[in-house]
Amino acid sequence: MIGQATTTGGGMAERIAAVYRKMLLHPTYRLLLLLTGAPVSVIVYIFYQYRRSAQGYRGVIDHTRNELLQSGYRDKVLAEAKDQLQRKHRFFGNTVSDKQIEAEASRIADQKFEDQLNERLQAKLSSHNGTQYSFGDTFQQLIQQPLFFVISLIIGFPMYLLMAVYANPYLKYIMERLIMAVFVIFGVAFVVFTILYISPMNPATNILGETATAEQIAAFNHLYGLDQPYLTQLWNTIKGILTFDLGKSFAGNELVSTAIANKFPVTLTLTVISTLIAVLIALPIGIISATRPNSFFDYTFMFIALLGLSIPNFWQGLIFILNFSIKLSWLPATYNPANWLSAIMPIVVLGTGLTAAVARMTRSSTLEVIHEDYITTAKAKGLARRNVLWKHAVGNALIPIITVIGLQFGAMLGGAAVTEKVFNISGIGSYIVDKQFIPDIPAIMGGVVYTAITISIVNVIVDLLYAFFDPRIRSKMKQY
Amino acid sequence: MTNTTITKQEIRFKLKSSSEYGQASFASIVSLLLAVVFLLNSYSPAEGSFKPAVLAVSIVYFFFTLLQFATWYLIRKNLVEGGEIKRSTRAIGYVLMLSLLSANVFVAATAFQLVKRKKNAFYTLAAYAFITTLLVFAVSALNVFKPYVADNFIIGMLLLIAAAVIQLASLLLVAKYGDRDVLPRWMGIIALLLILTAVSGNLFALGLGLLLFSKLRDKDYTSGSKLGEVVEKLSRSSTSMLGLMFILFLLTISITSYLTFDYGLAIENNYSSILQPPSLVQPLGTDNFGRDLFSRIVFGARISLIVGLLSTLIPVVIGGALGAISGYYGRQTDNIIMRALDILYAIPGFLLAIAIIAAFGASTVNLIIALSVGAIPTYARTMRANVLLVSTLEYVQAARAFGSSDRTILFKHIVPNSLAPMIVKSTLTIGTAVISTSSLSYLGLGVEPHIPEWGNILKLGSAYLETHAFTAIYPGLAIIALVLSFNFLGDGLRDALDPKLD
Repeated sequence: MIGQATTTGGGMAERIAAVYRKMLLHPTYRLLLLLTGAPVSVIVYIFYQYRRSAQGYRGVIDHTRNELLQSGYRDKVLAEAKDQLQRKHRFFGNTVSDKQIEAEASRIADQKFEDQLNERLQAKLSSHNGTQYSFGDTFQQLIQQPLFFVISLIIGFPMYLLMAVYANPYLKYIMERLIMAVFVIFGVAFVVFTILYISPMNPATNILGETATAEQIAAFNHLYGLDQPYLTQLWNTIKGILTFDLGKSFAGNELVSTAIANKFPVTLTLTVISTLIAVLIALPIGIISATRPNSFFDYTFMFIALLGLSIPNFWQGLIFILNFSIKLSWLPATYNPANWLSAIMPIVVLGTGLTAAVARMTRSSTLEVIHEDYITTAKAKGLARRNVLWKHAVGNALIPIITVIGLQFGAMLGGAAVTEKVFNISGIGSYIVDKQFIPDIPAIMGGVVYTAITISIVNVIVDLLYAFFDPRIRSKMKQY
Repeated sequence: MTNTTITKQEIRFKLKSSSEYGQASFASIVSLLLAVVFLLNSYSPAEGSFKPAVLAVSIVYFFFTLLQFATWYLIRKNLVEGGEIKRSTRAIGYVLMLSLLSANVFVAATAFQLVKRKKNAFYTLAAYAFITTLLVFAVSALNVFKPYVADNFIIGMLLLIAAAVIQLASLLLVAKYGDRDVLPRWMGIIALLLILTAVSGNLFALGLGLLLFSKLRDKDYTSGSKLGEVVEKLSRSSTSMLGLMFILFLLTISITSYLTFDYGLAIENNYSSILQPPSLVQPLGTDNFGRDLFSRIVFGARISLIVGLLSTLIPVVIGGALGAISGYYGRQTDNIIMRALDILYAIPGFLLAIAIIAAFGASTVNLIIALSVGAIPTYARTMRANVLLVSTLEYVQAARAFGSSDRTILFKHIVPNSLAPMIVKSTLTIGTAVISTSSLSYLGLGVEPHIPEWGNILKLGSAYLETHAFTAIYPGLAIIALVLSFNFLGDGLRDALDPKLD
């Protein structure tokens, strides 16, 4: 019983040590590992140095170096390198001064010498007493002591957490993707703030009027913190974005966060519904087009899709209003949250571009997959056409389609301003457009950054979806 | 029992491998649609009668549509029975060419392809160059109905006629001599004249002139130039050639409008003719300030093309360079550049454009910058992926073994070979840039409101949607036509440049 426990304990320690060693190879993870487990790292480092000196590590190095130098190895390497360099320059017809050749040759020679030295050292140490002395080895030796393991678990808990994440490829992938998203979000805040900061526009004069005195402008700038240095303002803005408190807008004296919280759901609901409907329409069209390539059906649908890509949203909206609201009086021309009929036209207009793009992508990616060898195999196996198409082709064709949906959703959310203006929807897009004439910096900041955050989150979800849909990506993830 | 019976598959193969058959079916369907659209427009439900002028146009279109359908049927019959199109069927093409007089370019372009049995890049380019110049001439000629014309109108029209004559002559000469292995030397003069006519913006003529020169120079030693190859592949799809033709038509008319159109009609208010319906004097009617919509749309083409092209060219150059450096050097360089571009990529292009314009004010220059910045990451990604692929090829290793510097390898060997996807992508995104331009103008964030840009014209027109819908419909149609043309061209280029299909 006891013996078994120790062996499993030993196996566990070995696994931990293996992960530790693997992480040490990666520069970023090495830094993170040493930092999160700082107390443990210090202890391991002390032991490491102690053992090295105790076993006469330095002495061995010096001895080997002298041995190598006396054998004339360096001179031999140097002469070789010089000769090679001279031949090379002669071949290319370059004229290079002796000094340069000398310098380059000695650089190459040094490099080779060090390599040789390390090689010998390794050989000597492993023959000497069976172990090499690396930082990772020291850790492994220490972790096999239960006492050290328990103590390190207490003082270096974050390190073990990090190692747990690293050891699981899925978790590692998700964490890396999330950290990227956070980095991007901060970057977006920084970029948008900087653009608005270096703007030559002056919100104070735009709001107070041309007749405003210098004191009034100074008071306005002071009230909204516009007189503070760049870094302070940037810090405040980032803090504001994280705490959902961007202060009051310049005009109208309303809280920016409240305004955005009221308007954002409107846009988001419309875009999400329209994405869902668009995907439901586009996928079958694309698949049917791909199964009958170059038929009349295919040409017609792809022409309509291209037309859908080419129609400006605002023109389409205007034509819809002209026909369905003014001429036929079927649907109301302006959006009203209480009347679902009024949402039909905006949803259709918003979704046109996405439907077209997804249908085109579905067609081309399904066509590509249909010509793969494994589809021929599936057909040869005698599977029904329907089975081949739905089980083997469509699933594999989905990956690029998901990408396009993610991209187009972002574009739709960003471009919603136009549709919102046409149908008089009080969403986030028309809010930003209304505020940009001043320019109302906190409102624009909030609108753009929160939209970008939403899109980043959607992109993270899309990336994670890949990993779970596509076995190829999963196996690649495990390897790295 | 032997091979007298032709299987269905064989028929399908024969029909599919004949470019004339596909073009004929496309032309007849589009022509039929146009005829129906004209017929519907000629009927005014308020009076319950037909407008004679539009009805006449519709009848002419129906006539050529019927003829085109008949030709289509004959082509099909010839192909199924004899395997090739008979001379008599090809001769119908000369009658179909007359449809050009009714501005039916779909049928006319098909007819030019039908009459010649062995087509080459020269012939295709010459035919399209000629049709384009004729169209520009016809559209410019509508100005004679105006109360006054531009000062240089006569000179401009004469120059256009001269260009058309040169292009017609070259079309006939190319049809006669183009198939020869070695061209006669005097073709050089024709090529030079063609390049001169290309000053009008007719890049078909420029392409033809350059192709002729390269063929004259190479004297049948090589297999032909890359441009010729691309043109030949491109001309197999009628939609992409027609798209290119419409783009070049707009380019030519934007350039020649400096001589043949009067800018005053497009920007000066004329309160005596407010919101007039379309007539001969104002072919597309007038807006709420009495300005001629037709002239405004023609001048708007200039802005749309310039903004569209520049806001694609700038990110292609910047993004391409960043992507190439990032893909070639890899490691930390790659990491830093791509992470920085990821941030830009996360902001939707349209929102970024709004933010930039909010910060720096609405003007054409700011609009171009705003649209360019948002597009940089996509091009950088495309270029990076290509460079990564090309860097692993043998000729790059060979160049490195010969001791070329990194810069030479990157810009002389790798970048030229990774351009094809960039060209396709940029063609497809010019259309998006045109839409974004007009959308921003519509929101009041784009081109200054006093400039006749398509989005601005539409914005003004949208206020009169109930009473005078045409003021909003025509500029919208212009935008769609231009964007559709770029999309068709981009699709065609992708098929033509895609190495996978070779």
